[in-house]
Amino acid sequence: MTTAPTASTGPTGPATLTATDLALRFGGTRALDGVSLRLTRGVTGLLGPNGAGKTTLLRVLATAVPPDGGEFTALGHDPGTASGRLALRRTLGYLPQTPGFQPEFTAFEFVDYVAILKELTDRGARHREVRRVLEAVDLSQVRGTRIKRLSGGMRQRVALAAALVDDPGFLVLDEPTVGLDPEQRMRFRELIAQAGEGRTVLLSTHQTEDVAMLCHRVVVLAQGRVRFEGTPAELTARAAGRVWSSTERDPNALAGWRTGTGSFRNIGDPPTGAELLEPTLEDGYLLALDGENTEVAA
Amino acid sequence: MTWHVADEDLRAYAHGELAPPLLWSADTHLTGCATCRARLADTTDPVALDAGWERLDAELDAPRQGLLERLLVRLGVADHTARLLTATPVLRRSWLLSVLFLLVMTVLAVRVADRPALFLALAPLLPLAGVALSYGPSLDPTYEMAVVAPVHGFRLLMIRTVAVLTAGLAFNGLATLALPGYGLLALAWLLPALALTATGLALTARLGPVVAPALVGGAWVTLLVVAKSQVHAHDTLAPFTAAGQSAAAAVAVLAALLLYQARDRFDARPMGGFANGGTA
Repeated sequence: MTTAPTASTGPTGPATLTATDLALRFGGTRALDGVSLRLTRGVTGLLGPNGAGKTTLLRVLATAVPPDGGEFTALGHDPGTASGRLALRRTLGYLPQTPGFQPEFTAFEFVDYVAILKELTDRGARHREVRRVLEAVDLSQVRGTRIKRLSGGMRQRVALAAALVDDPGFLVLDEPTVGLDPEQRMRFRELIAQAGEGRTVLLSTHQTEDVAMLCHRVVVLAQGRVRFEGTPAELTARAAGRVWSSTERDPNALAGWRTGTGSFRNIGDPPTGAELLEPTLEDGYLLALDGENTEVAA
Repeated sequence: MTWHVADEDLRAYAHGELAPPLLWSADTHLTGCATCRARLADTTDPVALDAGWERLDAELDAPRQGLLERLLVRLGVADHTARLLTATPVLRRSWLLSVLFLLVMTVLAVRVADRPALFLALAPLLPLAGVALSYGPSLDPTYEMAVVAPVHGFRLLMIRTVAVLTAGLAFNGLATLALPGYGLLALAWLLPALALTATGLALTARLGPVVAPALVGGAWVTLLVVAKSQVHAHDTLAPFTAAGQSAAAAVAVLAALLLYQARDRFDARPMGGFANGGTA
């Protein structure tokens, strides 16, 4: 039986990552267009539709690709310098969108390989660390199983274990819950919640459920720009008074869909006398995507 | 059980003083030998024994070393370096068999047509292609993780280059033995192979792992076509003459220097393969 992790909504504390005007262009596409944000300890959700620039932003912050413009510091390290980049990489855990595996490796061998890439050269200490992280993601029982024989959820946990090697202070997770069934997703959320204790975690997702359950802050990205930065409660509050019910789809609504009760749920500017509904995080997210102006909550 | 850990080694093991690879042999043996475990218990104090058990427990999951990896460790290569060497993506059976097949077919063609240039033209391209494919997102599934890891990108590149070059040159060497009639000429692929590989790597730092080797490979083929047009049917092509070999050696040295100069580029930015940056 799994229990849903609850998001921390407490004080956010001092900034552990500060990014200013990050820009990155691929050919004629502005993947990042002046992204500024501030992260603190705990799990921050990065929400956005496909093509919003989430993966690009994560790759920049994980030092996989340098930005064309702007700068950032993470945990006091400036990746713009060789020494700062190295120092940041030494305290970074990265789970890419499609983590690549050497399929013939066992779970242990794969994490051990990543540990070598992370400069854990002492064999005994490295193997102890590999056992520790595999235990942390509850994979001790299958550590000797080849990765190609593991389920999708287990592979994601192997990748998370690899990201957790050497106890990183900054964890970058790119859509780790994609493709998982509901039970696996819930299990993974628990693991992320545990990983977020005492660490700075940036979690990219397009599921508002992930944010609602895990994150103490949320950043909404669309077309390479930050559309919202604040707490999940603040994002939900944006939709207060802007969600209403109707028997037919309201043509003036920004978005509207039929619900299980047969009535329509609309968001936008409600007509006079409309039956207002309690807003959800998803409503706030959809409104943030539609808004032209960036909104950064305190 | 055909052997047991020697008394002296068992005492050293108990005191944590047994060095690899003897340590690993002892670890492996102790997991399956109750006699030696009992002897170990008699040899040591309880605290040291606990530490030994902990170490033994960790070894139970240790990656199984292949033949090549064990050989490298016995030759004094650090175990983590040996693992990086043998985990080089290109060194898979499918790749090695493809290279072997290509070489066998080429050697057969040379013997039938009596044209060593066929082999000499192909042989330098194989290490170039192997090295190009060993570092980059195209064949390395863990490339993205390696890029953001603190291990120096240039070091990883060199480790993989050594692995691929060794395999490639060994294959070429074996193929050369199958061409006994041409004397030293049959070895005229070696310096061009080094020149092409070094130039490909030096340009990879600037142009990425696809454009650079493609450019170098294309230049090599063009050079051979031009050289071919300058001589009669059975004359030696210019790159395989003494002057050509000297030029190849000079290019190899120059390219190696340029590569060393550009070593930090392998850490500063990824080596291509993400033209759209993954804009999801």
